[in-house]
Amino acid sequence: MGRLRLSYRQPLRLGAISFKERVNVVKFHPSLSKPGFLTLVAGLAVGALALSSLPASAASDPGITDTEIVLGMQLPQSGPASPGYNKVDDAMRAYFDYVNSKGGVNGRMIRLEVKDDAYKAGLTVSTASSLINKEKVFAFVGSIGTQTHISVIKDINRRGIPDIFVNSGYSGFYTDPKKYPNSFAGLGTYVVEAKILGKYLKETYGDKKIGILYQTDDFGRNAIAGFATAGLKFTPKETAATFIAGTHGSLGLVSQMSQLKAAGVEVVIIAAVSSATAVAVATAAKIGYAPKKWAVISVGADATTFQTILGAQGVPLATSAAMLTGVISASHAPAAGDSSDEFITAFKKINDDFNKSPSKAWDNNVLQGMNAAYLTTQALFGVGKNLTRKALVSYLETKGSSMSSAALVPLGYSKTTHEGYTGFWIGAYDASSVLKPVGTDRVVYTTDSGTGPVTVSTYKRPAMPVDALPKGA
Amino acid sequence: MRKVVAMVGAVALIVSGTILAIPSASAAPVCGTKAGIETCGGVLSNGAAYAIKIPSNFKGTVFYWNHGFRPSYPYPGYTPPKGVEEITLGNQITKSDSTNEMLNLGYGVATYDRSTGGLHGWNTAEGVAMLKELVDTTKAKYPNATKSVIWGSSGGAPVVNMFAEKYPELTNAVGLATPVATNIGRQLQSGCDLFFIMSVFFDPTIKGCDALGGKGVAGHMAALGELAKVGALLTVWSKNLGAPGLEYPAALKGGGIPQRSALLLMGLLAGMPTKSQHMDGITTSALVAEQSINATVAILENTLDAAATGILAGQAVSEVVGGKFYDNTKTDYTALLDEADSGRYNLGLSGDEAIGAMLLMLKMAPRITGEATGMAGIKALDKVNYTSTKPTILLHNEADRLVWPGQSVAYVDAKRAVFDANQSKYEDALASAKTGAQLLAAMKMKPKWNTLALYAMTPETYTKYTEAGLPVLTGLGANSGVGHQAFSAAQTMAFAKLLYYAANSGNIPSSALIAKNIAAGVGLNPDLDFRPTELKY
Repeated sequence: MGRLRLSYRQPLRLGAISFKERVNVVKFHPSLSKPGFLTLVAGLAVGALALSSLPASAASDPGITDTEIVLGMQLPQSGPASPGYNKVDDAMRAYFDYVNSKGGVNGRMIRLEVKDDAYKAGLTVSTASSLINKEKVFAFVGSIGTQTHISVIKDINRRGIPDIFVNSGYSGFYTDPKKYPNSFAGLGTYVVEAKILGKYLKETYGDKKIGILYQTDDFGRNAIAGFATAGLKFTPKETAATFIAGTHGSLGLVSQMSQLKAAGVEVVIIAAVSSATAVAVATAAKIGYAPKKWAVISVGADATTFQTILGAQGVPLATSAAMLTGVISASHAPAAGDSSDEFITAFKKINDDFNKSPSKAWDNNVLQGMNAAYLTTQALFGVGKNLTRKALVSYLETKGSSMSSAALVPLGYSKTTHEGYTGFWIGAYDASSVLKPVGTDRVVYTTDSGTGPVTVSTYKRPAMPVDALPKGA
Repeated sequence: MRKVVAMVGAVALIVSGTILAIPSASAAPVCGTKAGIETCGGVLSNGAAYAIKIPSNFKGTVFYWNHGFRPSYPYPGYTPPKGVEEITLGNQITKSDSTNEMLNLGYGVATYDRSTGGLHGWNTAEGVAMLKELVDTTKAKYPNATKSVIWGSSGGAPVVNMFAEKYPELTNAVGLATPVATNIGRQLQSGCDLFFIMSVFFDPTIKGCDALGGKGVAGHMAALGELAKVGALLTVWSKNLGAPGLEYPAALKGGGIPQRSALLLMGLLAGMPTKSQHMDGITTSALVAEQSINATVAILENTLDAAATGILAGQAVSEVVGGKFYDNTKTDYTALLDEADSGRYNLGLSGDEAIGAMLLMLKMAPRITGEATGMAGIKALDKVNYTSTKPTILLHNEADRLVWPGQSVAYVDAKRAVFDANQSKYEDALASAKTGAQLLAAMKMKPKWNTLALYAMTPETYTKYTEAGLPVLTGLGANSGVGHQAFSAAQTMAFAKLLYYAANSGNIPSSALIAKNIAAGVGLNPDLDFRPTELKY
């Protein structure tokens, strides 16, 4: 049983003393003459109104004390959707432990409370309630999953709780801050990624027949919109194969892959979760379908997830690695295997030193978790000692686009959009399942979630602080 | 599901059984004392029975109970009650109440049979008059009955709300259990949508609320006929869980969309709870392979009561408002599908393409045109201004299948709008005050937030499956948070105790007192900012 939260407006207060109480103090003070009393009362009234309009103090926001900041996160730690994703929270906690070892953020230690929703929205709802009412989190950080997060995003925003660095690329969460004023992306949107990937595919494989396999939900819709903007159109029942999100395991995607094969599709795009990518690639192999190229939206191309799922089906690691080799995807960050990158180097060291999970092996999921925690720490430092929920949201809107991170593009945050990373580079997996640039150089492209053009990014990523502790933008 | 289907003849909003023998018609109560309880009975001026129970340790507060809606005419499994049937908030599933516990605490209880000439129906205005007479009679008999808790459930809530606004001097606290807390038309519109959607996807012979408006027994039988069509569908679905493909409309036949997807869509468009007595919306099995399919079975289990609300209460209301009130000529069903629902239940809805196809069918389907008199009448029905300043406590199950919890949400929102307007006036008056007198006058304008909504919650998971993977739809199911007017004894007593405090203090209880009364295990949500699914209209 947690402490109760009172839901409605509390009486007008003058600091710790109510207006009525102040009047009574004055009224019964024997030294005050009547004119003086009236003047003072009027002054107090004005003061009351002025003070009532001040932002709430830090002490009034749940989840924050002089010594601690409590953050909440929801993700699938169990169930079929958990492989890969279940490493992100451990990575975040490792980074926060590192921050705490350095004295925390302005003297406050960061505590990350994590809830497993098993990628079931009903559990997302109940665990969000627990994080809000029992753990009293100050903010939600890095929660994973579109279909799950969509079940709680409205309530989190209604309550004024910051919902930052959400691990979903669904643009609908971020492009209208009036709708979800406290939610900020931790990824680039699927639209941005599809526009950039689509442009590359059109330019590189324009002479080939390009088709797509996508899940018919928010993710798939976003991707189709992005590819359409890039000039890639698909024909339903021919070059566009669809499935209902969540059914790929039971269906095996046989009819979908057979459809693309029959249509003579040479380049197959996949806009689906990683487990679906694994099923699609494996099924294609089974039916003797060998497209010239696979191109996969990044959240569906996580090597760890891909190989874990196929491994569970008895596919040897070497075989799954071979299946992944040559697959095109995109990333907003350096490849996890890029040991020349200073962020990668620093994060790997922190992961080695602070990650207590038995499955802490360095990969893209760990990188994403570290980066989200790094951004969170930076924002908390940036707000300063007077940390409030409103101040954090305001900081992200005004300074977020200047924050540093491992990403090779900036966050797109402003007062008019809370979209995350604004660009991607295109790569292909090598034999060791590391994403490498498709050309000789890594070219980062940038665009928006609307109809803006895709251009080469000129962004210069800020250097990482020597102690890997960002103190604000 | 079999149990639900069997309930076609005994809709859950009906509580049968008489708890008190009523003396012959007389204006004066006839009383007797047994085991320290004085029980009085009599009839009101319109012939309706009433009952009062006062314990020997009476503390001066009487709880005046207003029961919910009762159809006036019988149907298989239901006989309109005659005389007083429930005197406090009872549990309609376990058929128990907490009257004795309340009496033991020194609370007085009283109620009346909300009928005129043996007819019930939607009779809010008459209920207010009868309640006034009951309170007056009680106070005359017991001069020490100084505090009044005016409480009621379901369709009794409009009586409570109108009474509290009309007779604030007779009201010390307001209790609204599982209430029709705002205009009944808001939920009837959704209830009637259920029938409309079923007519599009499942049975074109369904007229639903277009069949309402007849008078007396004939009108009642027409409504029952529509409910029977739903019962027939439920009987089939209880065996196949809606797995076969849609047969209607013709454009979707053979399209591969299972009936259960249209059923789920129907529930989501209406704002029906996605948890039910036995389905938690989460747990899966070999045959219920995904959480949204669990929710679909929940919709299936909830549909009968929801449909019964729409059609039986709708018929009673249509008699009051003078015609067909249901009109969906301007309804945008696409807009009724919440973004979160289409995402969360995407698989159960068979994906975006199926969702789009079904919504298109609803858009193209011929609509029902209401009658001007009925449409205007329902808007004006049971007018409440939300201006009562008396402490008001609401209690609702988070998955009430009959009166949806969005009713309580809507009530709180309406009260808050009034509060905010008064707060603005108060602040303006303070700011413009130039003299001490003006300032003191302004200070008197300060509004007080005096409303509290409590929700009984389900366990996180409770669905059980057979070895074959079929959901178990018999037995108690969830022990909290589901059903209509179905609260545990602990929840009921917490509600009563908080109302007693409110009546005697003039305020909703402090957070500490609330916490004390809804301690862990009671099943009431400690999150006082909880907001269940909102009404669609």
